[in-house]
Amino acid sequence: MKLTIGNFHVKDIVFGSELSFKDGVLTINKEEALAFIREDDRITEAELYIAKPGDKIRMCPVKEAIEPRCRLDGRGLFPGYTSEMAPAGDGVTYALKNCSVLVVGRHWGGFQDGIIDMSGEGQKYTYYGYLNNIVLVADTNEEFERHEQQKKNDALRRAGHKLAEFIGQCVKDLTPEDTEVYELGQMIKRGAEVEKLPSVVYVMQPQSQMEEMGYNDLVYGWDMNHFVPTVMHPNEVLDGALVSGSFMPVSSKWSTYDFQNCPSIKALYAEHGKTINFLGVIMSNLNVALEQKERSALFVAQIAKSLGADGAVLAEEGYGNPDADFVGCYVALEDAGVKVVGVTNECTGRDGQSQPLVTLDEKCDAIVSCGNVSELIELPPMETVLGELDALKRDGLSGGWADDELLGPSVRADGSIIMENNSMFCGDQVIGWSPKTMKEF
Amino acid sequence: MKKAIVYVNQFFGQIGGEEKAGAAPEIHEGQIGPAMQFAKELEDTEVTHTIICGDNYMGSNTDEAVQTILGMLEGKEMDIFLAGPAFQAGRYTVACGTICKAVKEKFGVPVVTSMNEETPGVDMFKKEMYILKGGNIASKMRQDVKAMANVANKLLKGEPVGDAETEGYFARGIRHQVWLEDGTPATVRMIDMLLKKLNGEPFKTELPMPKLDRVPIAPAIKDLPHAKIALLNTGGIVPVDNPDHIQSASATRWGRYNIADTEALKGGEYKTIHAGFDPAAADANPNVITPVDALKVLQKEGVFGSLHDYFYTTVGTGTTEAEARRMAKEIIPYLKEDGVDGVIMVST
Repeated sequence: MKLTIGNFHVKDIVFGSELSFKDGVLTINKEEALAFIREDDRITEAELYIAKPGDKIRMCPVKEAIEPRCRLDGRGLFPGYTSEMAPAGDGVTYALKNCSVLVVGRHWGGFQDGIIDMSGEGQKYTYYGYLNNIVLVADTNEEFERHEQQKKNDALRRAGHKLAEFIGQCVKDLTPEDTEVYELGQMIKRGAEVEKLPSVVYVMQPQSQMEEMGYNDLVYGWDMNHFVPTVMHPNEVLDGALVSGSFMPVSSKWSTYDFQNCPSIKALYAEHGKTINFLGVIMSNLNVALEQKERSALFVAQIAKSLGADGAVLAEEGYGNPDADFVGCYVALEDAGVKVVGVTNECTGRDGQSQPLVTLDEKCDAIVSCGNVSELIELPPMETVLGELDALKRDGLSGGWADDELLGPSVRADGSIIMENNSMFCGDQVIGWSPKTMKEF
Repeated sequence: MKKAIVYVNQFFGQIGGEEKAGAAPEIHEGQIGPAMQFAKELEDTEVTHTIICGDNYMGSNTDEAVQTILGMLEGKEMDIFLAGPAFQAGRYTVACGTICKAVKEKFGVPVVTSMNEETPGVDMFKKEMYILKGGNIASKMRQDVKAMANVANKLLKGEPVGDAETEGYFARGIRHQVWLEDGTPATVRMIDMLLKKLNGEPFKTELPMPKLDRVPIAPAIKDLPHAKIALLNTGGIVPVDNPDHIQSASATRWGRYNIADTEALKGGEYKTIHAGFDPAAADANPNVITPVDALKVLQKEGVFGSLHDYFYTTVGTGTTEAEARRMAKEIIPYLKEDGVDGVIMVST
């Protein structure tokens, strides 16, 4: 399978008369884009903004991030979701780099939504604080979940994915500034030079713990709660086969942008043929019942062993209950003779004194740790808020609260906030970007 | 100018060696022994007093020694209290830990000490204070005092103290997130660790597996028909107005609700405020998490003796182990007072 990504580096975004990309400037016809979004009659209110690094902008409640792209063969970006079923991972896609479409609730948030700051002390907590963002702020008529703490955010998230497709079209007939090629053939008979290197799989555990449909990550549009682990080509992940869900405390989330750009896959690709023989991805999931967790771990270990993997990188999209899937899978792989490096975040409490993962095992001897979900964060007011900041304290965001005897409410009258890292949008970057680690004090 | 007071044993206090180990505490104005070097290393801080106590005296008459020293410190200006460095002298390390803990509790000032890792004082006190990793012999005095002063200066200036590895103190069981100075992303650390592990080279995990805190399973209740049973849950079942304001995640609160005259919990009167699962089933019928209905029937059938008048609730999702332990300690006295023999702990 060979995926060519043609890159267009976005240096600035402006609103103008015509959707276009020229000399690093992405121009968007706002009314045209909004009209496109309003084609979904569930959208009741919509506005577009631009948020660039250094802007005095805070966004809340942020629901999803997507990289604008364009497939040259006309296929939709997310087969089985925004377009008909079709294979992902082969062919040519063009991407607007250093740029994302963010979806923000105009009013209402939930457990799974988060915060992004574009400048100041809060900027460093998310990857998106450093991107040029096209921000869709919208509301919907999804009355059934308006006051639910857990929201599917279906209309808003789909609007984001479609907007990313819509904007991506502007580079269809242009020549990319540079290209990345991801090519990986069959897993066997790769030749002695490659096969003498230790073989490695990347095991992903995307979030799929909601029993009701509509909240979980999707693979080719399929809810991953109804899924047992299988082998995937890494290019499928990079090319839109995975779509992020709407369930987990958001610092643990892998957005669709994260899947499209999965840095761990790119890092393993970079080592392929040099230090490792990168076999591919074992796509697993996260489960609710112990039996389900054990079943997935058993599948992963068997597949890794059957593929002849010497090593595995294992990453979970979640913390708390999913730690049981993570540790269970880690141990199953080690027991099968596969050497594992785990990537995760921790929950050590505001005081840092709690057990870092819900379950532990001495076999988990190699872990890259990306942050503490319950770290307390206090940030000054921000000049501009996109969305509704009160959602942080009102709507049950995982890192916010209505009131607290010692700390007061998460959102203060002057617009300053106090919150747990839990609500930093994709903040722990377990997908691979995390510049954070955990240290003993 | 800030003020510091230093504690040393009989040897470093220049009273004498082993023959003077039984010496009772004494306090001197100014600096004796290591206190003189602290005076040089501490920034903008005066070492006003040196306290000297024999190691055997502190070991055999601990309460008296501590009370005497606390009495000596009463009314003295003090911004920081330093003890040692104690090197590999076992009794001295315990003495430093003991007096630092007492001074910190009584006067609320920061305390710093230093010990060699092979000594008993480390495990006894490392969670309570900054203990610098010290040398094994007194010739390390200069560098051990310097390391203590380095941390002490930050505490005196109100600057953040760095992580255990950087500053050289024994980890206190506290883990926080930090930004790596060079910004090395997780992928680079991951590949580095992977290659080392695959190639059989030493590697360093970022999450050392802590010693597991396992709770032994209690012995079975022998006489269930006469036992009193209580019902507890982390599934967030509360009266609909959530009177104790228990949080939906990362809970720090709990509540107890009287069910003495309740045959079954009704939807509409009780609900779950837990944010980690689909609440529909529990809201419709709270007994699926807190089975008051079934327990009342079993009680009538004589399966167990009696049901404690209250059920207890908190939320488990995201709730830290430390908070859970604290809440349990708050709940247990109620159960003991009522003579509860066993509890049913419902998780979700």
